[in-house]
Amino acid sequence: MTVAHSRVNEPLPQGVGRLSRRWFLVVGLATAGTAIGVVGWLVEHEQGMVATGMRDVGTMGGATWGLYISMVVYFVGVSFAGITVAALIRLFNLEHLKGVARMAELLTVVALLLGALAIVVDLGQPLRGLVNLFRYARPQSPFFGTFSLVVSGYLFSSLVYLYLTSRPDAARLAAKPSKLQPLYRVWAAGYEDTPDQRARDRRVTFWLALAILPLLIVAHSSLGFVFGLQVGRPGWFGTLQAPAFVVLAGVSGIGHLIVLAALVRRVLHEEHRIGMEVFTWLGRFLMLLLFVYLYFVVVEIFTAIYQPTVNEQRIGDALLTGEYAPVFWGSVAALALPAVGLAWMAVTRRWRIGWMVAFGALVNLGAIGKRFLIVAPSQTHGQLLPYPVGTYTPSLVEYAVVLGLFSLGALLIAGFMKLFPIVEMEEAAP
Amino acid sequence: MTRYAMAVDLNRCQGCRACVEACKIENNTPNAVFWMHVFRLEEGEFPNTKMTFLPRPCQHCNNAPCVKVCPVGARYKREDGLVLTDFDRCIGCRYCEVACPYGVNFFNWRNPEEAWGEYQIPFDDPDLASVTGGAVPPYKNPDHDVRHGPEQRLTSGSAHFKGVMEKCTFCVHRVEQGMLPACVDTCPVQALRFGDVEDEDSPISRFLRDKESFQLLEELGTDPSVVYVGGNPPSSHAREIERPLTGV
Amino acid sequence: MTRRGIVTGGLIVTGLALMVLAYFAGAAPWCNTAVECSNPRLEWSPAIFVVGVIVAFSSALYYSMSKSDKK
Repeated sequence: MTVAHSRVNEPLPQGVGRLSRRWFLVVGLATAGTAIGVVGWLVEHEQGMVATGMRDVGTMGGATWGLYISMVVYFVGVSFAGITVAALIRLFNLEHLKGVARMAELLTVVALLLGALAIVVDLGQPLRGLVNLFRYARPQSPFFGTFSLVVSGYLFSSLVYLYLTSRPDAARLAAKPSKLQPLYRVWAAGYEDTPDQRARDRRVTFWLALAILPLLIVAHSSLGFVFGLQVGRPGWFGTLQAPAFVVLAGVSGIGHLIVLAALVRRVLHEEHRIGMEVFTWLGRFLMLLLFVYLYFVVVEIFTAIYQPTVNEQRIGDALLTGEYAPVFWGSVAALALPAVGLAWMAVTRRWRIGWMVAFGALVNLGAIGKRFLIVAPSQTHGQLLPYPVGTYTPSLVEYAVVLGLFSLGALLIAGFMKLFPIVEMEEAAP
Repeated sequence: MTRYAMAVDLNRCQGCRACVEACKIENNTPNAVFWMHVFRLEEGEFPNTKMTFLPRPCQHCNNAPCVKVCPVGARYKREDGLVLTDFDRCIGCRYCEVACPYGVNFFNWRNPEEAWGEYQIPFDDPDLASVTGGAVPPYKNPDHDVRHGPEQRLTSGSAHFKGVMEKCTFCVHRVEQGMLPACVDTCPVQALRFGDVEDEDSPISRFLRDKESFQLLEELGTDPSVVYVGGNPPSSHAREIERPLTGV
Repeated sequence: MTRRGIVTGGLIVTGLALMVLAYFAGAAPWCNTAVECSNPRLEWSPAIFVVGVIVAFSSALYYSMSKSDKK
């Protein structure tokens, strides 16, 4: 493995710095999608939030939180994957998973950025939001957790983690002459591969992982509290919200990671470092989370149908048999089928990457569906005063902005892949 | 100390909605925005039906969920009991609206200058102009540009900024000048009363004395400042028989 | 105790202290709906909280990136 190390003028690994036609195609599509999102947001900004499908709760019969808030919750959920996997690798010495560590951390950073952007597009006064949150944010509001822990703490710690674990690779790349050499020199920031430095890095990543894991539970729970503490909204008020948020976050995050890992493995021919054992481990982890979440769903349904109050029943009916039934049962199926499929693969010990990618995508659709069902029905059907039942259908502008967010995420990941190896390089012999 | 409260006499309310109209005019609220709303409710099956009316201003809760959840302290409760919104500070996250069990919050979905919708009257017609003196609606009450209370915050009136939350203010601009809220002043049958409940001799205290009363959704512990007498809370089977304008 | 250890520990303690300070200088977390709870007692205290978070985690950067004391 040291062969490549001493040679000069050798191309950078993993296609970094070389732009292929396929890459341009992906980036072109992602740029177009992002542009659509920007246009959507400009329309919304120009006309006001009337351009969305959201309306006031009450006499106007709408939902005032809609697709955007669902996406905030969803994206923050996706961010679960990276730092958990990275932390578990360090804490439990899962060396064979190192191939996906960096892409997982990247996924976390990108997902958190998208989550923060989704908050910004949801605000009626985004500029005021950026100033006033730093100026007046109140610890009593459940949003304080989202703002201080999720967006600042979680994002910054993930960035630190991503950066520190990437420095050795940057140092290796800086040793090779290339167009990107100056970048790697800055990136490596004087990294020297000494035993002392290695020991320190091991220590610091261990402690970071240890510090980030509780932060992760608190951060995802704080998002659950945004909903679970509201006594005036039947369907939201409950103890299960916070734990269910953590678990569903894991589901969408690990699902995303499986898809990304399979893509990278295929595109960069990294079959060696992203081996089957990575997928079996991720698959088992996802399966476990899915079964825990499905258990929560069963508990939720049972509580909703056994002896519900009048208001809880209205929401339960809307979910199980009414207006939201297609989304509800679709989401449950999108979570249950992969659970069964993964269990089958675990029992027979025959793991198929193709199926796992399909499952990874499916659980994410299910997660988006479930997030939407947490947000919308309690507003349209959860009125405690005798207002008529409301409706909420996202408008084209909202869909455009959401498309833009996903495209921006793809763009950031594709861009990163051309700047830096997305799979940790193999260590040179000491 | 002063603590303002409103009493609603359901025996007197006849569902005329003059209060709704007064509120819209006084506060210049946009289309489909009803800071004061009167439920016209029907219960039972024909022919055994019963019709009731239930005026619903903001409840100005003493333990207000909207105040608790506001991430920037734009929604706040004054010493005198009014729950108000600082229009200069609100960031438009709409958390107060989802936290409120009463559905009293209204967001500025549109630009203020477009918010009132289309007027179907040719105000530039010379004949009409001779009557209106050239004034073209929406007429904006200048009191709404004044900062009120000891906190000196911009809290009264409607449609100041796009993307900001608003709701009933108990007509803070009138209360500050010693007047009654517009809905209370307009009610032709005195179904609405307003005043200081800490003052034992105030008209509202005397009115409420020895009367059975209830608050809306008491069980939630929000402790509203709006007290209802002479009726019952709406049953869960009550249907609203008329729906107000919903299109912004 | 090396200088690195001291500075790293100092950064963590400073960060945590900033967070605690900012949290309690914010709009009184124990205060329910009184009017003074709508304003932080120290304006920009949420920003201080965020700075505290950043300082605390910067300790990792310092610990890993500072040059060795010993030659």
